Amino acid sequence: MSQFSRTWWGQRFITALEEFTDPGRLSRGRSYASGSKVKSFTIQDGLVTAQVRGSVNPYYGVYKEPLYITTIEFQPISPAKWAAVIALVASKAGLISKLLLNEIPDNIEESFTLLGLHLLPQSRKDFIAHCSCPDYSNPCKHIAGVYYLVAADLDRDPFLLFELRGLSREDLHKELAKSPLGQALVAELQLAQHPPEALASYHTQPRAIAVKKAPGLRDFWHGAKRLPATIEPLPETLVAGIPVKKQGDFPAFWNRENSFLAAMETIYEQVRHKNPGLD
Amino acid sequence: MQILHGTWIPQAGEEFVQSGGFYLWVETTERKRFRKPSQRHPYQMTADNLLELLVKELGIAAPAERQLKSLISTKYFLLPTVEQQPLPSLELSRYLEADLPDEFELQYWQVDCYQTLAPAKTYGLANNVVSLLNDLHFIALHNLAEIQLGSDLLFWFHYTQALKRIIFRDQYIPALKYRDLEPAKLARKKRATSASRKTSPQTRRSTAKTAAKTKATATTQTIDSGKFEIYPAWEFIGEEYETTIQQYVDYMPLVCAAGFSEPRDPIEFYDRETLLRHFAECLLNDIVTHTPTTQAFNKTIADSLLASCLQPNPQPWTYAQGLDLYKQWQTWRDRIRRTQTEQSFDLYFKLQDPIKPEDPWELQFQIAPKADPSARLALQDYWQLRPKQRQQVQKQMGNGFEQYLLMNLGYAARIYPALWEGLDTDQPTGIRLDLDAAFDFLKEAAWVLENAGYKVVVPAWWTPEGRRRAKVRLKARGKSLSGGEDKTKKYFSLENLVEYQYELAIGGEKVTEQEWNQLVTAKTPLVKFRGQWMELDQDKMRQMLEFWKTQQQENPELSLLDFLKLTAGEGEELEVEVDRQDALSEMLTKLGDKSQLQPVDNPKTLQGNLREYQKRGVSWLQYLEQIGLNGCLADDMGLGKTVQVIARLLQERELAKKQRIKNLPPTLLVAPTSVVGNWYHEIEKFAPGLKAAIHHGTERARSAQEFKQACRENDVIITSFALARKDIKLFGDIQWHRVVLDEAQNIKNPKADLTKSILKLNANHRLALTGTPIENRLLDLWSIFNFLNPGYLGNQTQFRRNFELPIQKANDPRQSITLKKLVEPFILRRVKTDQSIIKDLPDKVEQKLYCNLTKEQASLYEAVVKDITTQIEEVEGIHRKGLILATLTKLKQICNHPMQFLQDGSDFTPERSHKLMRLTEMVQEAIDEGESMLIFTQFTELGASLEKYLRHTCHYNTYYLHGGTSRKKREQMISEFQDPETEPSIFVLSLKAGGVGITLTKANRVFHFDRWWNPAVEDQATDRAFRIGQSKNVFVHKFVAMGTLEERIDEMIQDKKKLAGSIVGADESWLTELDNNAFRKLIALNRSAIME
Repeated sequence: MSQFSRTWWGQRFITALEEFTDPGRLSRGRSYASGSKVKSFTIQDGLVTAQVRGSVNPYYGVYKEPLYITTIEFQPISPAKWAAVIALVASKAGLISKLLLNEIPDNIEESFTLLGLHLLPQSRKDFIAHCSCPDYSNPCKHIAGVYYLVAADLDRDPFLLFELRGLSREDLHKELAKSPLGQALVAELQLAQHPPEALASYHTQPRAIAVKKAPGLRDFWHGAKRLPATIEPLPETLVAGIPVKKQGDFPAFWNRENSFLAAMETIYEQVRHKNPGLD
Repeated sequence: MQILHGTWIPQAGEEFVQSGGFYLWVETTERKRFRKPSQRHPYQMTADNLLELLVKELGIAAPAERQLKSLISTKYFLLPTVEQQPLPSLELSRYLEADLPDEFELQYWQVDCYQTLAPAKTYGLANNVVSLLNDLHFIALHNLAEIQLGSDLLFWFHYTQALKRIIFRDQYIPALKYRDLEPAKLARKKRATSASRKTSPQTRRSTAKTAAKTKATATTQTIDSGKFEIYPAWEFIGEEYETTIQQYVDYMPLVCAAGFSEPRDPIEFYDRETLLRHFAECLLNDIVTHTPTTQAFNKTIADSLLASCLQPNPQPWTYAQGLDLYKQWQTWRDRIRRTQTEQSFDLYFKLQDPIKPEDPWELQFQIAPKADPSARLALQDYWQLRPKQRQQVQKQMGNGFEQYLLMNLGYAARIYPALWEGLDTDQPTGIRLDLDAAFDFLKEAAWVLENAGYKVVVPAWWTPEGRRRAKVRLKARGKSLSGGEDKTKKYFSLENLVEYQYELAIGGEKVTEQEWNQLVTAKTPLVKFRGQWMELDQDKMRQMLEFWKTQQQENPELSLLDFLKLTAGEGEELEVEVDRQDALSEMLTKLGDKSQLQPVDNPKTLQGNLREYQKRGVSWLQYLEQIGLNGCLADDMGLGKTVQVIARLLQERELAKKQRIKNLPPTLLVAPTSVVGNWYHEIEKFAPGLKAAIHHGTERARSAQEFKQACRENDVIITSFALARKDIKLFGDIQWHRVVLDEAQNIKNPKADLTKSILKLNANHRLALTGTPIENRLLDLWSIFNFLNPGYLGNQTQFRRNFELPIQKANDPRQSITLKKLVEPFILRRVKTDQSIIKDLPDKVEQKLYCNLTKEQASLYEAVVKDITTQIEEVEGIHRKGLILATLTKLKQICNHPMQFLQDGSDFTPERSHKLMRLTEMVQEAIDEGESMLIFTQFTELGASLEKYLRHTCHYNTYYLHGGTSRKKREQMISEFQDPETEPSIFVLSLKAGGVGITLTKANRVFHFDRWWNPAVEDQATDRAFRIGQSKNVFVHKFVAMGTLEERIDEMIQDKKKLAGSIVGADESWLTELDNNAFRKLIALNRSAIME
């Protein structure tokens, strides 16, 4: 039931909702989220606002597709407490290293617990949701649908979680900047995302150059430098795919449940050992 | 001769996805006639013949004839052209008569090409250029077919092997390529590119059309009015790839960038770097997408980026989610790139073992600036520093140090998760590991971290040098060295036996069976044994125990040869130990480190003094024979192998005399015909006491009785390889004391009759001499060893399987080390660049090479002499002088080569002149060694013949400088010859033109093909290759025709030199002062010096 999130924090986030919502509404919520029912969706200052297309239902007298406004707001943590939490988090290299790699450390809650707080929602007390639909139940299927989409966003941007709990990006950076470890994280976070790198061709395009001066015969046939006398032996690779392994498993673009690294490892090994073209 | 060429040719057109193909073609010496006008390359191998060559000679599998045929197509090469004819490649030109012009044009030529595609395991065809070039290289290396690889293919062979190494290091990732389809931008870009590149108007129009078409399809098919396309792909990452490209740009011959699918106007080459990248990227995609994967695996990547990337024909994404994926991928890719870029410090992980075995192990984090690894600092200490000191360290470690440190620790923790535990603090210093975790670290994590770019410091006992292993040890000692009462028998003792027994050992110490058993049953793989940590491989230890138990009963004796064979295979499980006190130990030391040999005393009967290294050489010869082994003396040409052998012959006679042994049986010396005379001459000169006889010519002994008589009367019988084969019946009947093969590479072909005959000779000792580096020519090596120590390297098939294929085809370093270990004790090779040799040698080493006249030369010579003897009486004054000078010239011409004297355009072949034959052999040896050389002659016409012969018949790179060479040409030749990037080359110079103002210091050998009458002129020429103050030795080889005026003049020069040599004038006019009688004596021919 976790197709909206593959990260432990996204799943925990979803579990919180699923514990107090009836299965029928959850399942319709999921189909709302995966279909194109959620028309627009914004998160601003911790407030999630969405427009959700309702369904035509003559039985209830709804003949035209309605548009409902759905909002979800999470219980904010006070600025003072945030400052204390961030100071704690920034005192652990392991936590900062994981955040640096765009991950919520799995033991982050320990720091929150010390201050009597928690980061991920645990019960319905942790968020307030509204929907303009006629459903008496809260959360309704529209709320559930939007909630699933938030979970999916958390996978890609774990820092959204802080924002939802009332700590804006600027404040996060400010608090982090108070410790040396935090500064390291800020420096990384402030690296801008590049625009897509537009290429003129799929492969590097072989340029042709006009012949200005005829080359010497030796340069033409033999080249300017002599080739090495021997060929280096092939390297022995005991562990496959080290460059990709450094980035950890489940990169953001990997939309599957099974391990990305395991798949890469198989590809590297197949290429090395099963490809007759490399004999 | 057929030269195999080939290169990468990108597909024509300007499609976004532009592929290409690798195309092979063959250049031949045979000219095709095409109907005119034709732009077809006249020396190409055309389609049908090409197919036949590929299948029959090069073993390219033909899945279906038709399919193979479809891989042949026409391509265009921009080639140097003169008078509407393409010039031959430099490789081919060495097989042709014509000289290459200096000026040429460039023109496109049509060539029939074969595209290197083979059926892939998956489906369709895949580029198999990597494996194909490896095969072709192997075939060419072994001359298995009449083909030679052109420099272009050789380049691609090296480049593909370099890429293969990068692929084997997993230095590539799945990728996405973003294409912007926004019309405004696109149009601007197109305008810009077409302005900068001079494409023809036609091409430009078609480009615009394609672009418009693509755009149209894109807009109609996408929902979100796609302004982009995203293509899945694979890309290289990492520095190794980038440095490889830069390196190979410099190696790449321009011909590799001269192939096109359509001719261009105006003419163009490809830019080297972009072409190399295009090839590498296409190859990578081709290889990865054609790699077979299982169905089960495909399920695990279904609907993912990887599945798209593994599709052989990438279909672009145009939808919005695709863009999201792209952005996520881009962030990921940038991070990977960032971890690959330079940081100014290294992160170290240092494993520390505990003193008490039960205590935990420590893995410390340390840092050091890359520029100064010695300034290593433990993080534990770093955090303790006062702020000011800390800032100083930060400065040393580079910008953003703490940030990079954390990221690096984080990345390291990803690949070795145990590290997370150490990161639960703001000041990480290290982690603790229990025994099992420490073992895992040593076995795997350490290696992985190191490969990921971290530095790992493990305890010394884990390093290959310090590691103690459980081994079966072979304890050996020599047996027969001490025994034997009978002196003669002892003297000839050939079979040395080695007694041995096996024991169980750890780290070189004997271990009892009980201790061994304790270790085998230990619960952990790491134990502290006798105060030191070590790793146990209990399964192997169990096997060793079994082996040891069975060996207890076996016959514990080995021959020395078998023993050496066994020790070469020493390694992981077997260790050989010899008691230091034992004679066997001393023997192994001497064989292993030849500098341990005590130089012999100069033999009293030797007329001359051996150099220090030659005394060691003689000592080695003596030692090897004493312990019954047969070796190969492989000193560089010019270091005096001949004199060492002669000294050994004298020395053994002196020793035998002391031991009152009479009548050593004779030694048989087999040499190339061109040096037989030289051997005789050298023996006469250095060892007049030795009785030597040449077995050659029509006058040689024919009957067994006659021959045995000659053997009884002589110490040395010298013969040629040709006669060794022809008269094998005579030679095979004698029990020789020793057989010496000079230029032993002559028996490199195991199937030749010559080799088979040589193997039939019976001798107590065998010795091979060669100046070529035989350890690099595996088949020669095997054949020579098969003569020296039959069976030692296995039979030919075994040798091919164990060494030739793994070393020369699979490039296996382990087998090459084993082979080296096997042959090393048997080869003594000193090169002139060895420091210890240089100090023994003068800067200039002069050597005379005595050659016989051939029968043809002798009869011409005699005719001229006969002519002059009558004429000289009849002329006087200026006429007499002229006659003498003309005669001298004629005789010298004859000594060089009959063709030079006859001037009849007859063949300039080595068979007609031993001088030329010897020169050919020596030049080959020097070129094989990578040396360049100068050849001087006083005759311009001979210089021309020599150069032509060396270029066209022997296929070397040559230059020729004579009086008529223009200044510009001269300078160009000199700078090309001197260029370190030019292959080893031969510079032929006429003595007068090559006199002054020329520096040719790249040469370290100088040949004087004929003699000038004034040594000062020769010396001046020699000095071209030699500049005072430079630290290299130059070898000067002077040819002397035996029994002719050349030899006599040489003697006179020697005498004059002794008399402070001022009578010898600058030219030969002083010779005209001789009276008729003296002149007749000077030119008379000594018939004994003739050889057929």
